[in-house]
Amino acid sequence: MMQLEQLLAVLHDASVEFIVAGDVAARAHGSSRMTDDIDISYSRTPENLARLVSALAPLEPYLRGAPKGLPFDWSVATLQAGLNFTLTTTVGAIDLLGEITGGGQYSDLRPHTLTITIFGRDVQLLDLPWLIHVKRAAGRPKDLEVIAELEILQEEIRLESDAAD
Amino acid sequence: MHDILEFQRLIREARFRSGLTQRELAERAGTSQPAIASLERGDGNPTIETLARCAAASGFALRMTLEPLPVRDPVVERYKRDVDRTLLRENLRRSVDERLRTLSEWQIAGDALQRATTLARRTAARARSRPS
Repeated sequence: MMQLEQLLAVLHDASVEFIVAGDVAARAHGSSRMTDDIDISYSRTPENLARLVSALAPLEPYLRGAPKGLPFDWSVATLQAGLNFTLTTTVGAIDLLGEITGGGQYSDLRPHTLTITIFGRDVQLLDLPWLIHVKRAAGRPKDLEVIAELEILQEEIRLESDAAD
Repeated sequence: MHDILEFQRLIREARFRSGLTQRELAERAGTSQPAIASLERGDGNPTIETLARCAAASGFALRMTLEPLPVRDPVVERYKRDVDRTLLRENLRRSVDERLRTLSEWQIAGDALQRATTLARRTAARARSRPS
């Protein structure tokens, strides 16, 4: 089970530069989707990698699906050597994404985010048009149903905003 | 005239973002409040010049770009027919925290259900393997 509140608090309080994407972002926008993991796009500057490593270390990150007991060094060097990491932690499954297909890296996504207060903390959330864009760009058959829901959601938000005027 | 409608929405967004009332925007853009209201409603067929003037009066430059037309995927369009709008409307009425809390609550329920199902399956298997 994902303890979202705790995870976001840990990242926020360590001043990690990150963007919430994927199904959790969709859920925050109003989607009815369920998910067991959280997609996090993270900045790959050396300073941010250091903050990320020290923030997540107490949550015992480990490669998801890997046999127990493998030597996995949770460090800046490991993050620098890779890009995207699917991890288990004590607060749930996290996908750390150095790059998102069709969306690029943190700096590419940053202009397409909105600051939203989640559980009392300001968090960068990928905006709805870009969530749709990224899902389309990924081109995976499983995303087609998600795209349909997100586009309807966008329509509902528009209708709600029109009605409020 | 879908594209012009999109521009008209942008004008409203620009006004919201600059914190102006329709009357204030009208004064800055040299027009009337009813004209702004009508423009924001998507009425008429305003010129690009009018739209640009209103955007500028809100402190924004209106830029036009060329983008490929969105491809309407027939599979996505088919899925749209099955989207339950009532669930989305329900979620939109909730705060962001509530939306995410219900996600966690469902995860807890899902985990409990999985554990219960596994236990029931094992118990049934044990019962079957017991000599009668």
